[in-house]
Amino acid sequence: MPLLVLGANSLIAQAASANFAEAGHEIIFAGRNKEELSKIAGDFNIRYKVNCLTEYFDALDYANHRKFVETVFTISPELNYALIVFGYLGTQEKAQSDFTEAHKIINSNYTGVVSACELIAAEFESRKKGSIAIISSVAGDRGRQSNYMYGSAKAGLSAYSQGLRNRLFKSGVNVLTIKPGFVDTPMTYGMPLPKLLVASPKKVGKDIYKAMIKGKNVIYTPFYWWWIMKIVKSIPETIFKKLKL
Amino acid sequence: MKKLAEVELSGFGKFPKAVCQVSRPLNIDEIRGYLNESSVTPRGLGRSYGDAALNEKGIVTESVLMNRFLSFDESRGIVKCEAGVTYKDLLDTFVLKGWFPPVTPGTKYVTIGGAIASDVHGKNHHIDGSISNFVKSFKILSASGEILKCSRTQNSDLFWATVGGMGLTGFITEAEIQLKKVDSQYINNKTLKLHNIDELFEKFEEFNEDYLYSVAWLDTVASGSKYGRNILYLGNHSSYNKLPEKFKNKSRERFIEKKIAVPFEIPFATLNKLSVTMFNAAIYMKEKNVEDYLHYDKYFYPLDFILNWNHIYSKNGLIQYQLNVPEEEGKEAIDKILKKVVAYGGGSFLAVLKKMGDQNGILSFPFKGYTLSMDFPVRKGVIQMCKQLDAIVLDYDGRTYLTKDSILDETTFKKMYDGLWQKWLEIKIKYDPYYKFSSNLGRRIGLCPS
Repeated sequence: MPLLVLGANSLIAQAASANFAEAGHEIIFAGRNKEELSKIAGDFNIRYKVNCLTEYFDALDYANHRKFVETVFTISPELNYALIVFGYLGTQEKAQSDFTEAHKIINSNYTGVVSACELIAAEFESRKKGSIAIISSVAGDRGRQSNYMYGSAKAGLSAYSQGLRNRLFKSGVNVLTIKPGFVDTPMTYGMPLPKLLVASPKKVGKDIYKAMIKGKNVIYTPFYWWWIMKIVKSIPETIFKKLKL
Repeated sequence: MKKLAEVELSGFGKFPKAVCQVSRPLNIDEIRGYLNESSVTPRGLGRSYGDAALNEKGIVTESVLMNRFLSFDESRGIVKCEAGVTYKDLLDTFVLKGWFPPVTPGTKYVTIGGAIASDVHGKNHHIDGSISNFVKSFKILSASGEILKCSRTQNSDLFWATVGGMGLTGFITEAEIQLKKVDSQYINNKTLKLHNIDELFEKFEEFNEDYLYSVAWLDTVASGSKYGRNILYLGNHSSYNKLPEKFKNKSRERFIEKKIAVPFEIPFATLNKLSVTMFNAAIYMKEKNVEDYLHYDKYFYPLDFILNWNHIYSKNGLIQYQLNVPEEEGKEAIDKILKKVVAYGGGSFLAVLKKMGDQNGILSFPFKGYTLSMDFPVRKGVIQMCKQLDAIVLDYDGRTYLTKDSILDETTFKKMYDGLWQKWLEIKIKYDPYYKFSSNLGRRIGLCPS
């Protein structure tokens, strides 16, 4: 059964897709960079011998989302899995003084997802089958001064996916919320992160694939982030606000 | 988007180390940007041993994210891919389709770009030569920012300066490679336990034409009557029909690798004379004269099974010393070198000896003769010992392998590669007059100004 990937440029998206492709699922890669999309599709076709399609998608071009979703369900009528990966880390400091940056962070990580995901959800709901996976972040579990713009958008996304899961349960459609920790991608490259806590996209991709196939609700990836966030969340606010995080 | 990370880098030998500005570009435009600002060193997976992929005075650009297959002609076995594609990718993708890397180094964690820049050789060098024999063409981002297509007929001077050119002629972006047709995942292997170097050189002559793969493990510790004892491994790709029944099914299944890791740098000198002696003796005792079938992964990549095996050399790292001496007087040279190593007493954990075929690229390491590869933990006295080996190698008109090297000085290098480095430099200057592509290795051995 085919998989739709929104934000195919992401290494996490490609790693998760590789697992689907190995298992023989057709893949529709969607994103903004058409040249890159066709390169990815060509590479997957050689590596895994699966049919790959590409479709232009811009998360911030809300007006065209309906047409996009109609198109993908037309070119791939059996579409059953949707993986929503796109996002934008942005710069916290810039976002504090420049609302354009803050707006872009919020729209890329939240508004854009809501716009596209609702349309996919509606289609799956009417078919009474399907599976949606949304990449949120551990950053959404607690706001910190170093990236609360990004974190708050992801927090919204976590709550959004929670509600969507609740709504679609009765239709037999699964919604998975994915909360990755630090992942070694171009987004985090060059940041001074603790080496031991940085996972490879491959590891995270495999976790996502397994959770989607098993129909899980929420996963932290790698798993130990569940413990880390449990501790982070348990710190009383009176103390937390004084920390340099 | 440009992003640099400041990282303490080294090659696989973990010696020497240098703090470098490292980028992991997603596209060529990003590298063009760096070329405007400073000198650039291409890097793949960092499996060369010394400082070939280090650049303290500029930027290191890793090819790992530019790792896409671009096309594959299934009937002819020709693959076109980006430079960051690895041998592991090639194996995972093409072995089941009946195609094998035509020349493979001893690890599958090497990129195609790195393999070309080192003009890597394998156990089949005496018959097939190095990887460049199978590189139909490649594209390279040159210092001017232009992407040039190079082959035997197009920009051929740059082609021959780039294979074995250690990344100093540009950033290879993609390559077109001819794979080798195989019928199974197995190698039909013949093991010969031999008592001394004379026997080994006789067997090279007796068997080398019949076997595509040929390499000997050499005990570099044993002295007295055991001096020079070795084990010769000979192999050919097995046909499917010849395989024992128990391997037939496996040969048609996707190979899944199991790995163990050395989780941290072993902090004390585990590799002392006693352990190395015991290890070498154990290898010799364990092997028998047999003929058997080995999976390609076990045959070609026994050390990949242990991730980060370089960690056993503690944080000081290791020096790989690989030399090649001409065929004539080759045995005498190898004997002299082995005697020196045995006398040094530090021994080599793993030493391999092999007969080599003809040379390809201008700076390509292999040429007709014999190659011996050894590794030594970095400790007091080892560099002096290697310098003494250099003198013997030079005496026999031999040379050492830049991909493994971390100790050559400019004078010794220029003697070893005399006549070649001058020819190479002419082409380098033609395409890169301002030395935009430079590296710690290039500066150390005088191929780039410091």
